[in-house]
Amino acid sequence: MNLRTFLKTALAGSLALATALPAYADSTGITPTSIKIGFIGSLTGPAAIWGSGNLAGAVLAFEQQNEAGGINGRKFEWVSIDDESSAPKGIAGFNKLVQTEQVFAVIGPSASAVGVPMKSVLASSGVPVIIPSFSSPDMTEPLIKNVFRTGTLNDRMQGRAIADYLVQILKLDRVAIMRQSDQYGATGAGAITDRLKELGKAPVAVETFNASDTDLTSQVLHLRGADPQAIVIYGYPAPSAIATRQIRELGIKSEIIGSSATSNQNYPEMVGKVGIGVKFVAVGDLPESDDKPMADFRAAFQKRYPDLARQGRPATSDVTGYGAAKNVIEALRRAGKDVTRENFMAALETFDGYSSGVTMPTYLSPTRHEGNSQMRIAIITPELTREILPGAIDAK
Amino acid sequence: MDILQIVANGVPAGMMYGLVALGIVLIHNGTNVVHFGYGEQITLSAYIVVVLQVIFHVPFWLACLVSIVLSALFGLAIYLGILGPLRRTPLIVQIIATLAIGLGIREGLRAFMGPDPWPFPAIVANKVYDVHGVFITTANIVVVTVSIAIAALLFLFFRLSRYGHAILAACESPRGASIVGISVKQVSAAIWVLASVLAAVAALLMAPVLTLSPDMGLIAIKGFCAAILGGFVSLPGAIVGGVLLGLIETAAGYYISTATKDMVAYGALIAMVIFMPQGLLGKRQIKKV
Repeated sequence: MNLRTFLKTALAGSLALATALPAYADSTGITPTSIKIGFIGSLTGPAAIWGSGNLAGAVLAFEQQNEAGGINGRKFEWVSIDDESSAPKGIAGFNKLVQTEQVFAVIGPSASAVGVPMKSVLASSGVPVIIPSFSSPDMTEPLIKNVFRTGTLNDRMQGRAIADYLVQILKLDRVAIMRQSDQYGATGAGAITDRLKELGKAPVAVETFNASDTDLTSQVLHLRGADPQAIVIYGYPAPSAIATRQIRELGIKSEIIGSSATSNQNYPEMVGKVGIGVKFVAVGDLPESDDKPMADFRAAFQKRYPDLARQGRPATSDVTGYGAAKNVIEALRRAGKDVTRENFMAALETFDGYSSGVTMPTYLSPTRHEGNSQMRIAIITPELTREILPGAIDAK
Repeated sequence: MDILQIVANGVPAGMMYGLVALGIVLIHNGTNVVHFGYGEQITLSAYIVVVLQVIFHVPFWLACLVSIVLSALFGLAIYLGILGPLRRTPLIVQIIATLAIGLGIREGLRAFMGPDPWPFPAIVANKVYDVHGVFITTANIVVVTVSIAIAALLFLFFRLSRYGHAILAACESPRGASIVGISVKQVSAAIWVLASVLAAVAALLMAPVLTLSPDMGLIAIKGFCAAILGGFVSLPGAIVGGVLLGLIETAAGYYISTATKDMVAYGALIAMVIFMPQGLLGKRQIKKV
């Protein structure tokens, strides 16, 4: 055989082999009887406010599914790792889940400060990642092939929707923003400002505060000088409660609307009577709602976690964790018996309004990995309870 | 009119820093320990009230009293169980021990009480008074009044009472105090109890204003600043330092930029340490070598 004949034969053989073999299918974490899911989230540290709820909700959903016989004959197993509200520990924890624990997919992380620095690690792993609660748009814009978000609403979309609500629905012109000094507050406030400009307006004041601030007098005095009709507070629950109280105590009577982080179940009581009429963004039904799916979830959650029930939970983070796990379960169901990471992600991309029952419907596609596109507005009532106002606002 | 509002809000904000500083200075004066877990001790006292109310349905005022008693016992336990046995170890060991106490309390509260903030009742119903365009809240009035009263009582106690003199003597010269019959151990234990009672009182004042969460104790960073501004050994200095810090922060936030208010406050602290290391009301110490 001369060299030319050899090369021809080798090429033909290679082509034949390439066409005969199926594409490599990754079914890591799948056995005939089990599916291993990883959870990475903040169970301790300041971001535990979201991570502990995400884990509790997800575990409940998997336990319920296992009791119902599992999915396609397989039962769920799960491994959770605490990132301690630290990005380096989040990266180490994620790598452990993927390399040592060999999980099929990962739910988490739970906070922007941890998740955004993990972006390249998540993307390069190729492992399906479902984000339940943190809202940085960096994770879905531009789209990352293996990263999906359900339940919550990203800060860019949320900021724009808040601006639309204030200007187009409430017909207000003079909007001020009080934002947290970190990326969470900056992204949300930036989106509000951008959308206001598109609507031919500009914020009358933008004030910043640190998450650990205990007195916001100087910021509130600046806002008072700007005479706003509405103030958007884009920050975590504790400093937002201080801001709300001080805005009212210093005599400002304008509309107040808090970002989704203020949808904490204790927010009305933290603020007290001055909080009556204050609005906030809700990214789904409230955990205390009497609607059947939420009432069923709440009953199951409180039975499973009596210690957390004593703390007034379930909270929004519990709901979004449960919702994320329900999305995972549904995608596995759609992927069928011969599930691989590839057909699992393809199944997720078929979601066209899938409802977990407790979170907003999920819309995903090959060109869109941001599951939710709507927000609702809730208000604090005179009894210091919370009430969802009618209608949902589209977020673009 | 805004300058008056800055004073009206800056003073009570600073008083809260001063309250924390009082406890820190007290422990430092009495035992030479710098207690980096003091903020978390304050937080723990507030959570005790919440636990008693929510789980055991104890009336609020009774819960407050029980919290003060339990806080005192906890302070005694810290001394007898941890810092007493460590009293002859290097300072760094004691500092790490207090840091560990603080972190243990903070993450323990997060684990057992949840990471969410808790509502905390005000000890006096909060009302807002409009005094010629300056808004003053009852919460702030109570903070200022109680802080001044506590500082005055402590000052008088150390100046006028025999027991106060005994504590100061034990701190100044433990060996000398022992020779004249003062039990240094008892004095140290009393200091820890007193500072822990103070932590509980501070908790009742601060939790309704600051919002109770496991991270509420981080205010101790500002408490340390207040203590340093005041001289770190002076009880009235702690309050004065706190008020000064509160006013600097609020004024800097208003007149310069809210983004730089912490920077300005810490800048003032560094300047104080460099140019006036004895603080506002401290005394320059000269050691013979």
